Amino acid sequence: MLAITNAKVLTITKGTVENGTVLVEAGKIVALGGPGLAIPAGSEVIDAGGRMLTPGIIDAHAHVSIWEEGLGWEGDDVNELTDPLTPHVRAIDAINPDELGLKDAVKGGITAIWSAPGSGNIIGGQGVAMKTYGKIMDKMILNTLGLKAALGENPKRVYGFQKKAPSTRMGSAAILREAFVKAQNYMRKIEKGQKDPEKAPERDIRLEPIVSVLKGEQYLRMHAHRADDIMTAIRVSEEFAFKVSIEHCTEGHKIADELAKRNIPVVIGPTLGARSKIELRDKTFKTPAICVKAGVKISLMTDHPVIPVHYLPLCAGFAVKEGLAEDEAFRAITINPAELLGIAGRLGSIEPGKDADLVLWNGHPMEVKGNVEMTMVDGQVVYRKGCCA
Amino acid sequence: MILAIKDGRVITMAGPVLERATVLIEDGKIRSVGPGTGIPEGAQVIDAAGKVVMPGIMDAHTHIGVHEDGLGWEGADGNECTDPATPQVRALDGINPEDMAFEDVRAAGITACTSAPGSGNVLGGEGVVIKTFGKTVDQMFVRVWGMKAAFGENPKRIYREQKKMPTTRMGTAAILRENLVKAQNYLIKLEAGEKDPDKLPERDLKMEALVRVLRREHPLRAHAHRADDIVTAIRIAEEFGIKVSIEHCTEGHKIAGYLAEKGVPCVVGPSMTGREKVELQNLTFETAGILARAGVKIALMTDHPVIPLQYLPICAGLAIRSGLDEEDALKAITINAAEIMGVADRMGSIEPGKDADVIVLSGSPFELMTTVQYTLINGRVVYEVK
Repeated sequence: MLAITNAKVLTITKGTVENGTVLVEAGKIVALGGPGLAIPAGSEVIDAGGRMLTPGIIDAHAHVSIWEEGLGWEGDDVNELTDPLTPHVRAIDAINPDELGLKDAVKGGITAIWSAPGSGNIIGGQGVAMKTYGKIMDKMILNTLGLKAALGENPKRVYGFQKKAPSTRMGSAAILREAFVKAQNYMRKIEKGQKDPEKAPERDIRLEPIVSVLKGEQYLRMHAHRADDIMTAIRVSEEFAFKVSIEHCTEGHKIADELAKRNIPVVIGPTLGARSKIELRDKTFKTPAICVKAGVKISLMTDHPVIPVHYLPLCAGFAVKEGLAEDEAFRAITINPAELLGIAGRLGSIEPGKDADLVLWNGHPMEVKGNVEMTMVDGQVVYRKGCCA
Repeated sequence: MILAIKDGRVITMAGPVLERATVLIEDGKIRSVGPGTGIPEGAQVIDAAGKVVMPGIMDAHTHIGVHEDGLGWEGADGNECTDPATPQVRALDGINPEDMAFEDVRAAGITACTSAPGSGNVLGGEGVVIKTFGKTVDQMFVRVWGMKAAFGENPKRIYREQKKMPTTRMGTAAILRENLVKAQNYLIKLEAGEKDPDKLPERDLKMEALVRVLRREHPLRAHAHRADDIVTAIRIAEEFGIKVSIEHCTEGHKIAGYLAEKGVPCVVGPSMTGREKVELQNLTFETAGILARAGVKIALMTDHPVIPLQYLPICAGLAIRSGLDEEDALKAITINAAEIMGVADRMGSIEPGKDADVIVLSGSPFELMTTVQYTLINGRVVYEVK
């Protein structure tokens, strides 16, 4: 048993507990309480000295370790730009646990991420929700949900240069629709095959992930910056009745009501960067606050390595500076991404029964001088700055 | 005709070392071995007193005869880099028995090896186990063994330049998966055709080669340097229930426990080289020892011509210097190699009934100054020191 005592515990879902104690055993949070909570004899005690304890921070959209830092093409595995449809490629096969970005994440209190293929293809491949600490990828995986897709400038730039489709937004939407129609046809054959095995189609690993989206097993995670591209994503999702999330959502503030009335989750960012493309012209840190006020459930992203992953709490701080309520900002980097990623049963808040992925802060996480004192993953201290005995 | 190698210090690899023992050879096979063995009248005798006698040395991963020594593109037949999936090509068809390397190799006591396609393709083709002596490759041939596959930098470097898939590690894995799924689909048709010949599919050489892997007739031999690439190879092998060995295994020391837990054999090397690629950053001779101590079955490779094959025992010596147990080093170049190459029923130890691939050395195989006195393949002296 391990006890973290004398902490300002931000549970995220159940308010803040001053002078709180969190008990950890076998990798899980087993109890949470005030100073009166009994600490079993023989427990190892970490005195937080009044510091803030949060759940591990979660980045809902990053390319950590698929796009490795400090390397050239050898570590760049993020975009398979040889075909605009590569639903069958999987992030899990390109992640190097021994990578600089993951180490920064752990030091920065980011204990879980969604790492995914990039946005060069219309359907880029299967992402992965994973913990940031570990040696063997297969032991770090939380789930392999979230099919990456993209609209707007990236696919039409990449394939326009190759003189292939798509070279227009129309082309991008057509390729997306065609892929879903093929998957519908395939799904119908599978259903027939369940009644009559003679009619079962051959296995097709390109269509299987799209079928999974059609069945509602996972989100299509749609890269879209401009409001019109966001609306295209919504249009296609409604035509085929699948779940979509909007990734980047740069002009989300223009159509926040449209997003809110459909309960579409959005992941906003990377806002702490330049307006490097035309579709980023209206980028602003006001977007998160406007979306939340309209009733949209938001998460924030670094899009690492676009913004280094450990700056996610600072991005949240900038959003607060532009009007986002602080508790909403915390939710946007903890429980909201956990819900979007389908891991809220294990992560995203400090509650008994959840994984003991905890971060102890020296200062406020959203302040520049806020420092991580200690990061814990599965009840194990995986980073410690030094001061806390 | 009986041949007797008498009075040597015999390292059998199948029990304790026998002092002043005699190995009897008849019809290309080992007939008996032991200190009390009498020598039949009329036998040809090699006096090995004061010498070391051991099984012929084996290299589980080379490109000998495929990447020929002393030639340019004319002798380079190791990588068919026009398509990332070429399971239908066979190393057997690319080996030149007159490659000058074979002579060096026999003089170094190496009697058998795997020669395989290179690592430019995701699926590179079928390897072959050969003996290092013969006029035609069919005489050298022992068996087809292993479907070569590659992860990491090589396939994505080659096809990136050609602007084809794979340009990423994700793409490499997807090509492998997709081809294995196609082979599963083909296998379903083959099985349907066994019951009803009307349903038999057309012959497809690519699919036939992969069906042999799915049926576990031989392993996927997965080129992988970095730890994450090794784990990807194991992940995909488990998805399809196929056998796998890890080739190179440069960062195996980082995940030795995982490799041991999975029971995956590893062929380590070529370690006597520079770190000329990013994925070789963590190259060290310590890998073999760390893996063996963790309980992983290891062999060593030269990856000839990357390291000339005759230096395999020296590589083993350097691995010993970096912590590999001497007994494990011996296994790595004899019986473990034979097991990983699928020929342990015929090679890798001095035991009655096995092929008479035997060498006589002036001392320990791991010492630089040791010289090979005799190399025998199938009971025939193919090298004798002058």
